[in-house]
Amino acid sequence: MAKLTVVISQGQSAQPARRRLEEELVTALLFEPGVEVTVIPHLYDLAPNGTGMLCLQSVPGDLIVLAWLFPRAAHWTLDRNGIRGRMGVSLLAEGEASDEDAPENQEGSNDGDKPRVLDSRPLPPRTIHCLDLRTKQEVSAYVAEVRRIRDEAAVQTVSITGPLGILARSAPAPVVVAPVASSEEPVARKVEEQAARRWYPVIDYSRCTNCMECIDFCLFGVYGVDRADTILVEQPDNCRKGCPACSRVCPENAIIFPQHKAPAIAGSADGEAGGLKIDLSKLFGAPDALDVAVLERDVELVAVGRGAVGKSVGIPQRQPARTQGPRDELDDLIDELDRLSL
Amino acid sequence: MSGEPAADGELTFMMGRYPARVPTDRRYARNHMWAQPAEGGLRFGFTAYAIRLLQDVYFLEWNIDAGTQLRERQAIGAIESSKAESELYSPIAGRLVAFNEDLLSDPSTINVDTYGAGWLFTLAGDESPLLSPEGYLEHLAASWKIAERTIKGQLND
Repeated sequence: MAKLTVVISQGQSAQPARRRLEEELVTALLFEPGVEVTVIPHLYDLAPNGTGMLCLQSVPGDLIVLAWLFPRAAHWTLDRNGIRGRMGVSLLAEGEASDEDAPENQEGSNDGDKPRVLDSRPLPPRTIHCLDLRTKQEVSAYVAEVRRIRDEAAVQTVSITGPLGILARSAPAPVVVAPVASSEEPVARKVEEQAARRWYPVIDYSRCTNCMECIDFCLFGVYGVDRADTILVEQPDNCRKGCPACSRVCPENAIIFPQHKAPAIAGSADGEAGGLKIDLSKLFGAPDALDVAVLERDVELVAVGRGAVGKSVGIPQRQPARTQGPRDELDDLIDELDRLSL
Repeated sequence: MSGEPAADGELTFMMGRYPARVPTDRRYARNHMWAQPAEGGLRFGFTAYAIRLLQDVYFLEWNIDAGTQLRERQAIGAIESSKAESELYSPIAGRLVAFNEDLLSDPSTINVDTYGAGWLFTLAGDESPLLSPEGYLEHLAASWKIAERTIKGQLND
């Protein structure tokens, strides 16, 4: 049986605490049966056709990627580079919340009836688990999760090939592949690549509806369409460092800037509604997201010697459609909020 | 409408049954911060109204450095309490002079001494958008129904 590939994506800086966690993880996982360890520079910074991506593209089976990124950010960065698969559900939930009730995968987690780009894109029959190294401080937590995923994958394989799936499922995990010949110390594969820090958007196609508001809004030529007229990040390096404006404009929160400081923009799964707590931002003076986006875009336009355009270009025209329905209490409430400029 | 003078130098706004104090020795920003002259500019802190909405503060974070030039309503940090969370925004345009460093280790001072040691930062800039205590009270009265609905609406989700 093929080994499970575990990729450790290093942090961007050589922050000692992070490096230590990475190193301890490599050491712990090297002796883990059924697991093969690869160390790469920061996933998000890898060049599209560089050694790191080529190495990841060559992995045929299931994959676990441990990175200093939100799982969504890591997953869709991989997807954009042709490293595709079903999004595995980790029990190392963001925060401390238990994720027992999580759906099998997070496709269409933004329920509703809108078709998402992913709906029309069959995924290869493999699973990619992305774990966020910021979730826990202890190496043991990650090792345990890697074991769990490995054993689960093994059980699934057996249940397909075995005569009695249910029995096989309850049997002890039979995966234990002999470790590499004991005369040789196992070593991690380490991919060297000069990875300069990059900044570009990553599209979550399980949320994206191909509405094209981002391509209309961005005036730097980052976005394009493929042959099927589906939106894609065509020229990532045209993106203006630090500017997340298109992400604010996206009506589905499908655009991720993994390095942005706001979790909702950096790809946190529960970033937008604020979890269980009441979000008072609007009362405490939060400006409209569109206003912020327009301002950010103008700053970048001026920085490259082009004129500010304000709201004259590429602003989504969502309002006309919305006013067709009868006004309800919420409309009045929003209008009051705007008028008061709280 | 509530706004009875409760004690000398103080107005009160009734949030339901809770009396939120509005001292008259300072001015107010629309985003529920008080402002008082201090060394280097204006000292800002949360009003009792804001604290009542937040309740027990246990996390406060700034994502800009002292010395930064700010636009009005620029995002500058975040706050989290037992009941709520919010991004924080600059009350006026200007230069951020200093943060109250004591809060970073123990933000509960915000609850204990809202109008004193619980101050948040000093900011030097355009003071024209600030309201008088009476003006702030009117602002509260006008926006209280919306605040109530914002809270209840999210709770009933």
